[in-house]
Amino acid sequence: MKNYDIINHVRGESQFIDDLNVPQGTLFATVYGSPSAHGKILNLDLSEARAIKGVKDIITYVDIPGQNQIGGIIKDEELLAEHEVHFMQMPIALVVAESEFIAREAARKIKIEIEQYEVITEPREAFAKNKLIAPPRVFEGGNVDAAWAQCDYIIEGDCDSGGQEHLYLETQGAFAIPLEGGTFKVISSTQGPTAVQRVASNVLGIPMNKIEVEVLRLGGGFGGKEDQASPWAGMAALCAYKLKRPVKLILPRHDDMRMTGKRHPYSSDYKLGLKADGTILALEATYFQNSGASADLSPAVLDRTLFHAANAYHIPNVRVTGVMCKTNLPSNTAFRGFGGPQGKFVIEAAIFKASEVMGMPAYEIQKKNLLKENDEFHFGQKAKHCRARLSWEKMEEEFKVYDRISAIEKYNSENDLMKKGYAFMPICFGISFTNTLMNQASALVNIYTDGSVTFTTAAVEMGQGVNAKIKEIISRMLGISHDSIKTEPTNTSRNANTSPTAASSGADLNGNAAKIASSILRDRLLRSAAEELKLPLYEISIKDEVVCHKGEPTELKWHELILRTYNKRISLQAQAFYATPNIFFDRVTNKGDAFFYHVYGTAYIEVTVDCLKGTYQFNAVKVMHDFGESLNEVIDRGQAEGAIIQGLGWMTLEEVIYNKDGRLLSDLLSTYKVPDIHFAPEDMDVRFLGLPNPVGIMGTKAIGEPPLMYGIGGYFAIMNAVKAFRPGASFKISSPYTAEKVLMNLYSNVNIDEKISSLSVTEEK
Amino acid sequence: MTRNIKFILNNEFINADVNPAGVILDFIRDNQLTGTKEGCKEGDCGACTVLIGELKNDEVVYKSINSCLFPLGNVHGKHVVTIEGINQSGKELTPIQQAFVEEGASQCGFCTPGFIISLTGYLLSAESLDAKDALYSMDGNICRCTGHNSIIRAAERITSKFNKLTGQSENKIQVLADYGFVPDYFLHIKERLSKIDKAEFHREVNGDSTYFVSGGSDLFVQIPDVMMKSTIKFLYDNPEIKFIREENGHILIGSTSTVNEVLNSKIMLTYFPSLFNFIELFGSLPIRNSATIGGNLNNASPIGDMTSFFLGLNSTIVLADRDDNLREIPMRDYYLSYKKTARNGDEYMKYLYFKIPTKPYYFNFEKVSKRTYLDIASVNSTILIETSDDIISDVHISAGGVSAIPLYLRKTRDFLLNKTLSVDLIKDAVEMAGNEAAPISDARGAADYKKLLLKRLLFSHFIKLFPEIISIKDTVID
Repeated sequence: MKNYDIINHVRGESQFIDDLNVPQGTLFATVYGSPSAHGKILNLDLSEARAIKGVKDIITYVDIPGQNQIGGIIKDEELLAEHEVHFMQMPIALVVAESEFIAREAARKIKIEIEQYEVITEPREAFAKNKLIAPPRVFEGGNVDAAWAQCDYIIEGDCDSGGQEHLYLETQGAFAIPLEGGTFKVISSTQGPTAVQRVASNVLGIPMNKIEVEVLRLGGGFGGKEDQASPWAGMAALCAYKLKRPVKLILPRHDDMRMTGKRHPYSSDYKLGLKADGTILALEATYFQNSGASADLSPAVLDRTLFHAANAYHIPNVRVTGVMCKTNLPSNTAFRGFGGPQGKFVIEAAIFKASEVMGMPAYEIQKKNLLKENDEFHFGQKAKHCRARLSWEKMEEEFKVYDRISAIEKYNSENDLMKKGYAFMPICFGISFTNTLMNQASALVNIYTDGSVTFTTAAVEMGQGVNAKIKEIISRMLGISHDSIKTEPTNTSRNANTSPTAASSGADLNGNAAKIASSILRDRLLRSAAEELKLPLYEISIKDEVVCHKGEPTELKWHELILRTYNKRISLQAQAFYATPNIFFDRVTNKGDAFFYHVYGTAYIEVTVDCLKGTYQFNAVKVMHDFGESLNEVIDRGQAEGAIIQGLGWMTLEEVIYNKDGRLLSDLLSTYKVPDIHFAPEDMDVRFLGLPNPVGIMGTKAIGEPPLMYGIGGYFAIMNAVKAFRPGASFKISSPYTAEKVLMNLYSNVNIDEKISSLSVTEEK
Repeated sequence: MTRNIKFILNNEFINADVNPAGVILDFIRDNQLTGTKEGCKEGDCGACTVLIGELKNDEVVYKSINSCLFPLGNVHGKHVVTIEGINQSGKELTPIQQAFVEEGASQCGFCTPGFIISLTGYLLSAESLDAKDALYSMDGNICRCTGHNSIIRAAERITSKFNKLTGQSENKIQVLADYGFVPDYFLHIKERLSKIDKAEFHREVNGDSTYFVSGGSDLFVQIPDVMMKSTIKFLYDNPEIKFIREENGHILIGSTSTVNEVLNSKIMLTYFPSLFNFIELFGSLPIRNSATIGGNLNNASPIGDMTSFFLGLNSTIVLADRDDNLREIPMRDYYLSYKKTARNGDEYMKYLYFKIPTKPYYFNFEKVSKRTYLDIASVNSTILIETSDDIISDVHISAGGVSAIPLYLRKTRDFLLNKTLSVDLIKDAVEMAGNEAAPISDARGAADYKKLLLKRLLFSHFIKLFPEIISIKDTVID
């Protein structure tokens, strides 16, 4: 199955916003951001900047004709700062000039005076000072308070997980073109075209029907362009509105990294209760989410943390509390996994500590507690078609993991300089937007009179292969080849009121809509063919672009059928809508069948730590993943591998560092390191569990996010190796596990967890 | 501020009056060749990778560079190849492009042209194909989508399928063209390049302040907009300061020798064979192809890898002024304060030299960074020890990242001199080195960590060089 996008990619012919030919007269905008993380703007002097030759205008909030408000869930975010700034590099002004070079020059001439307010960067400090985005959220199942008495072990502790920069290779950007009648076309690198349309409409104070948003493709999104593509598009539209000229705004990498939010860092407290045999009876946890300066998607991200607090385990008594802490950082936002990874990290940390205290390998505790069919999650849904144990057991069997563990123990006993470590990581991830209303999509399929087909849906292509999958669905439904089908860019004029392409749901939702549209067309065409051939409808099909009778080709070819159908004045265009059935969630009780289905799988990860220097290399990642029935194994494997590495990166190299003033120190690719080609484990073996999804389109399962969480195992594999060098020591759990933290754990006592160390059972081997 | 520059861009002869301080990436993209992308503009992502072909010994030699940092002043008389210049006509794919398609080695597509270019550059420059080397050729390219495993598999398809390819013919470009790796116009590039007068390009533009530019891979990261308005003296293609030679018991290295030229030079590898293991720790291939010794040493970063390396060899820098008067300064005295050297504004570095050590001698380089490759060190260190009857007769140790300047560990050297190696001596020396260091906390690590890391790297020097004397067990602090 061909994927035309990739053929254009390898030839460098796929176009991104910055590659488009711009019309004559296009202007370029650059964003001037606050030099302070929190304060009151006393004076903004634009005079020197305005005087520079080639500068067309400098736009501030006073130029906004509509609302200076872009908050989605909560209306708490200004497009351009009015009187106060809430994070460093918060956009204040837009310099519009004849070239990007001139715009940058002018921006450097802007002078500002700010009265400094207190800067908070840590979530627990914000919590202590009652700086919250919204009231805390609590999910509860069973009776936690009653459960502690039945536990043989109660493990209490805290742990931190760091932020993560999306580092989509294509930075944020938009191109706004004024059209006739006060309307605008905005080409945006966004996962949420409708969000861009809404923001631009609000900012300009004009109805949504006057703004057409188009998305060709994204050079990576990973959640970073779900909500946070909108401001830049809104700004480009604002500039185009005021100057009546096309305006391009592409963030340079340095601005992108400093101005946009990242994965939410969390600081969490946990309390885990277990029986002596490793059975987990109760989990209580509080998650202090570093939300940043405004809500953005933080409430929804936090919800998913609470949904996935127990990962793939059945824990009968759970009480988890999420706190959205308001800090003076760019608002943190969606990132692949959407709070799920942060929640899973905490339960895995608690299990790791329990294993230290109980002297039982972590994998025994993990395995003992895996979800079974009909186990109830703490939010009331029951696990159906549960494959937690199945994937674990198949993983054990196919990869002979216990032999591998023995080999590691032998290696460690023979080597002083290098130590190997391992970890298991099961996952369970719910598929559906947890905000039920967002689970809707639409598609439009056109057949032209020559038989060629186009389709367009609400889905945005960002490398995940959603369009190739939808094309496969249409191809199967209509019985035509991929060569006859072309993907149209996502466009709000073709599909209205779209949900963002997010939550791993793009192919499910939009594929279903496209399937319905295709089936409408197929019905019409089969009827038409039956009429032409004077044969019974139920004996007619279309295969390989030929009408078949009882499965045998007839003389009637696809293009001829199309022409004849057109001539009969039958529509060759179908639009369809899909809404996920059978899901609901009560936001008062926090109970309900929030997810259409779950994705399962288990990973086994091996790492080698250089104990002389604290560096490490992942050697093997072995995964048994529940892909459902794959529409395209190359695409699905690619999604899994890419997500795993991104998860490992989050756990290891990728360190988002702000100083106390709220200044991002890891603000370039030279200071923020993502996995490179050497990072890739030599033995990456992702296998397909091979069972169809009974409720998924054509048996498939969503793939985008779940495998990222296998990366969490990487953290504990490293810690396992470090402990082979320092047996008996217990360390504070704080990701990312950089080479710095590894070396400190190997040779210093600063990050020792005194309490657990004193409790822990030293393994004697 | 413009200069006339002539070069071949893909299959097109370019004769343009341009500001030579503009980077080639912007020129390419302004000319509608948008397959080359801007990802970071600091040479850290490789989305902008292009090939530069140069006539050398009657052959066109290709290497990959980061076009976002490579000034137009450095491309006169050369062949610049973008992804569009690799593409075959129609929709036919090169074997590399085909392998990427088959392995799904491209997802969003933004980084992909850079990878294809790097791998094509590898085929154009490799003497024989090897999967590991192919992987290394892409060490300057970052893909955020795939995690790189599919890219590695695509490269393996090429190296295994075409493993005999390069040995087949003397005319490599002919062979690559026959297999469809490059279009046929590559066959005529040699002849076309030879018609451009290299000397024609005026290597100086006038502007506000003066900068000597060689590879550009540092100045164009830091102050690209300033460069557009400055007086620039282009050194990169000045043949007089591009050499590596042995002379009277010394090795002399011209300042515009690139990192790759130094690390792969026969002379260096003869005296320091272990260098071979460290090459990939220095930047990335496109950076090693463009960054020069003079640039790295004069950037004066306290953490420069080549700086640490040559400081550890106790090198001496030779500067020239406007009138070509020469002045020598030992590297250990060259760095005055943060980013400040003893060089005057109108001087430039001509070359450096160091004494070829007396046998038996021991050499080691250590570097730890957050990410092992394509990263700036948290701490680096170089050591050179000469012994005579088990006595340390001479020793030099450098330490980067632990002070405002590249540090030459004088006290530690003095302490070790004329002593016999033992575990206790090494431990005392390491402790002393720790006290000579004064690191600060930054994105590359906290001060405590850097101090600890320096000590570990020093232990590592001795454990690697003298395993019979000291082992890791002797170094455990607890």
